[in-house]
Amino acid sequence: MNDLLRLLRLFKPYWGWAALGMGLSFITLLANVGLMAVSGWFITAMAMAGVAGVSMNYFTPAALIRLAAIVRTAGRYGERLVTHEATFRMLAELRVWFYERIEPLAPAVLEQYRSGDVLSRIRADIDTLNNVYLRLLVPVVVAGLATLVFVVALLFYHPLLALLELSLLLVAGMLIPWLMNRLGHDAGQQSVETAAQLRSALVNDLQGMGELLVYGAADAHAAHVQQLSQTLAAQQQTLSRLNGVAQGALGLCANLAMWGMLVLAIPLVRDHAIAPPELAMLALFALASFEAVLPLPLAFQSLGETLAAARRIFSLADQAAAVSEPAHPLPVPERLDFALREVGFRYQLQGDAVLEGLTLDFPQGHKLAIVGVTGAGKSTLTSLLLRFREPSSGELLLGGQTIAQYSGETLRQHIAVVPQQTHLFNTTLRENLLLAKRDATDAELEAVCRTALIHDFITQQPEGYATWVGETGVRLSGGQAKRVAIARALLKPARLLILDEPTEGLDPETATQVMANILAHVEHNGQSLLLITHRSHGLEAMDQVLHLP
Amino acid sequence: MGNPALSNENKSKPHKPDPAITAALKGWKTHSGFWLKAAVAIGLTSGLLLIAQAWLLANIVNAVVFAKAALADVMPSLWGLLALFLLRAGLAWASEQAAFHAAVQVKLAIRAQLYQKVQQLGPAWLTGERSGDLLNTLSDGVEALEAYYARYIPAMSLMALVPLAILVFVLANDWLSAVVMLVTAPLIPAFMILIGKGTEKRNQQQWQQLARMSAHFLDVIQGLTTLKLFNASRREAQVVAQISDQYRQSTMSVLRVAFLSSFVLEFFGTVSIAIIAVLIGFRLFWGELDFLYGFFVLLLAPEFYLPLRNMGTQYHARMAAIGAAEKMVGILEEKGGEEGEVMCVPELRTHSLVLQNLSFTYPDARTALTNFSLDIHPNETLAIVGASGAGKTTLINLLMGFLQPQSGQILIGDTPLTAIAPDAWRKQLAWLPQKPQLFPGTVADNIRLGNPSATLEQVQAAAEQAYAAEFIVKLPQGYDTLIGEAGQGLSGGQVQRIALARAFLKDAPLVILDEATANLDRASETLVQAGVERLAQGRTLVMIAHRLRTVQTADRIVVLDQGTVSAIGAHAELLVSSPLYQQMQAAYGGEA
Repeated sequence: MNDLLRLLRLFKPYWGWAALGMGLSFITLLANVGLMAVSGWFITAMAMAGVAGVSMNYFTPAALIRLAAIVRTAGRYGERLVTHEATFRMLAELRVWFYERIEPLAPAVLEQYRSGDVLSRIRADIDTLNNVYLRLLVPVVVAGLATLVFVVALLFYHPLLALLELSLLLVAGMLIPWLMNRLGHDAGQQSVETAAQLRSALVNDLQGMGELLVYGAADAHAAHVQQLSQTLAAQQQTLSRLNGVAQGALGLCANLAMWGMLVLAIPLVRDHAIAPPELAMLALFALASFEAVLPLPLAFQSLGETLAAARRIFSLADQAAAVSEPAHPLPVPERLDFALREVGFRYQLQGDAVLEGLTLDFPQGHKLAIVGVTGAGKSTLTSLLLRFREPSSGELLLGGQTIAQYSGETLRQHIAVVPQQTHLFNTTLRENLLLAKRDATDAELEAVCRTALIHDFITQQPEGYATWVGETGVRLSGGQAKRVAIARALLKPARLLILDEPTEGLDPETATQVMANILAHVEHNGQSLLLITHRSHGLEAMDQVLHLP
Repeated sequence: MGNPALSNENKSKPHKPDPAITAALKGWKTHSGFWLKAAVAIGLTSGLLLIAQAWLLANIVNAVVFAKAALADVMPSLWGLLALFLLRAGLAWASEQAAFHAAVQVKLAIRAQLYQKVQQLGPAWLTGERSGDLLNTLSDGVEALEAYYARYIPAMSLMALVPLAILVFVLANDWLSAVVMLVTAPLIPAFMILIGKGTEKRNQQQWQQLARMSAHFLDVIQGLTTLKLFNASRREAQVVAQISDQYRQSTMSVLRVAFLSSFVLEFFGTVSIAIIAVLIGFRLFWGELDFLYGFFVLLLAPEFYLPLRNMGTQYHARMAAIGAAEKMVGILEEKGGEEGEVMCVPELRTHSLVLQNLSFTYPDARTALTNFSLDIHPNETLAIVGASGAGKTTLINLLMGFLQPQSGQILIGDTPLTAIAPDAWRKQLAWLPQKPQLFPGTVADNIRLGNPSATLEQVQAAAEQAYAAEFIVKLPQGYDTLIGEAGQGLSGGQVQRIALARAFLKDAPLVILDEATANLDRASETLVQAGVERLAQGRTLVMIAHRLRTVQTADRIVVLDQGTVSAIGAHAELLVSSPLYQQMQAAYGGEA
């Protein structure tokens, strides 16, 4: 329930929209019930007048019927427009809110989640939350108001009639939905989870299809997907079965209300306590009034699903970032003089140390190479310098102050990185490059691409710099993607350039040439260079070489 | 397997014509078995009972108002009414169940078909597709079919049947009302179709928008670290807002029309009922009609228009299904080509692999291989070197059967590769790609990928040979450590070594290494190189390599230049004979 309230608070800017939608929905409902009731009365009264041969004022009821018909039709149209508009506005708000909450979690915290799973959260779960307003709030509020109005109106005729209406409305509007909620809770939650598992499995299978085929595991994985698909169907069936029972029971309640109304009102007609046309009116009124509670079983049934989605979204959004930003960050100094004093790092409290007792000076303009075996914490060092993670022990100083005193974001403005696993976005090559410098001119783009030896390849493409990069850059070969990433890093006006295995995937000639170009670029711009590599080759040009065990 | 890579053109292809998609959707009905018919039959029965219910109700009110009947007089009818209520509640439940079953059968069948097709089209085809987009089609897209089969199709059949039954009864009691119904009823579907036509196109666009939004989010989330490195991650929040807002606007533009269409339908329904009511009212007033028949017809009138109005609300289920099905039909129609059926592959340990005049050009007109010929001898270690884009990756995709050459052929002994069943061929292969994919599960599960029944001892032995055992035992739970997506938490070299262990465990006669040692540090590279050489014993090994040091011991080295063979020979020969190889060697200097 706390999640629900929190959600409502997030929707605060749209409360006006929300209230308008509910108002329209309520008016539409009243018009519909009124239309049925008045029609029943009108027909019977006309017939009685005909039989008795007396005249009657048929203008007023006829005008009422027309009015109700118009309000009903137009009201429903307006209601749908407003409630959906409100829903989508809330969803957009929520999606941005969620993105802003997970953004600080990258990369340290998010690495623990699979990206298909995060995607499922940000999109599908948030979509599921449209239930909160459209299927939950609107129907519940409208049903509550309507029940009040109906029961009060019936009190004018007979308390028993009001009691009958109230009790059946409560059964249909509360007892049945409550039961549905209880019975559907587990299946609802499970189906959200199964759907997320299915998406995750599909992401992995699609990306690793080649290996699945070659290693003969494709059939097993297909069977797994099929099994998840069937599990999902079984969970959905439980929900559907409940839904069927609820719909049947609800219709039965409406019919019972009409039936009870007849049984109670027929003697009243005999006693002249109510006029005969009112019998038809009451019967039709009772039947129509249940439209108010029609959506409630579905609303409560989706509650389980909705709360599970909300829980998943909030649990991720509430994760603490791996690094806390200082309240009053120091301005980043002109020179990036780093100093490491006995720095150690371990991923888990009890885990092995990936860095231990590292002491090192890395002043502005220096070229430092770190050479070591895989997994020896070379990439971890990058994370520390970028302030993606905090050292577990020792001190990392920048300009003589501990690095924790600087804002990570401001610090990163001055650092350009080519990570070991590069990511190119699914957009044009130009857009990928411009990420480093929004206002870069074409000449600047060309210059860095020449430096990274990728310009010729790009201009050979039919669309040149406007060539679309496939998802995660897959349509480029590994070496081409790497060189685009190098060009992108060179474009960034940074004081420190970090290269994590920059020449992997390049053929030897290109690798040697690219490295020489990078060194020239670094020297020309007075940048510091941190080169992480496992090759002993090409280290002559470095000022310091640090061998990690 | 045809030419899956050609599907890249799909993106620029115009929309599939709607009739093709509608026909496909109708064709998929067969998966639902008899459930759909059952749902319709139950719905029709319920409709007939409704008529009986109206008749009883009209009788009761008529008796009380005009025959001054007491409660006891009408009690038998009231009991009958109650029985009908119960019966109809049961039928409502049953029809919901039947409809759901029908939809589920279709969903399961279509998802399985799509997945199978994607498998058949293989990784080379997938390279040209956005995986977020495909993911959306296979998950949410398939789910969107439910409403079509569970609601729209039954509603469509009932729309024809129930009003017809009601009309018969109305005609028997009051011909004038029947005439009004006959005249107004066709207007409703006519208007609906008129409006629906305009909405369909937009709905398809809307579905594409959803798919694009999905793909974009996956891209952004996977690249979040990169965005942060360039301080662009905050800016991206605006893009997320913008895309969400575009999604809202496009969805609303579809919904506005959909709502308008149901507005029109409702309006017609209401007006028609009003006309019937007025005509009945005045004829009652003038004494031209009995109240019993008038009231009966009036009770039936809303029920007559209800299925027609339901159509309107179910119509967007149809449009959503068409939008979702467009991509599915596209995938299912993708030419997978003919798969060979020969299950018995000639023994690779004794037969050569003959590549004859292979040419391959990508759909974007990039020529990868031209008239490429090569014999790969049994049990030899063959290295392929060449600059980026020389055609190395294309060549191994052809070898693995993921791509088909436009001309030329690959022979195993005398059997063309195209005649061999893909499964049988892949049994002969082990492959170590450039970026190996790890799957959710334990480290041991990942090594067991090609051989799920392998014992832990076998897994350990394979890991040992791949020089992976050393770091695996240091993981928190050793071989039972769970692996995240893309092996997060493991270094690139560790992922490579797990993948190498897979190859050791599979024990296939043909091993393909795609720059296998690219991500290993020098120390483990040397070890892995030794492991690879051990793996090469008694097997055919084809490796793509960048670092010449790793290819020196190869029996033969093929120097590839712009899709053709520039030179073939052992390391020492090429150093003398191939200028291109000399250049590469020089570039590596002390490294080689």
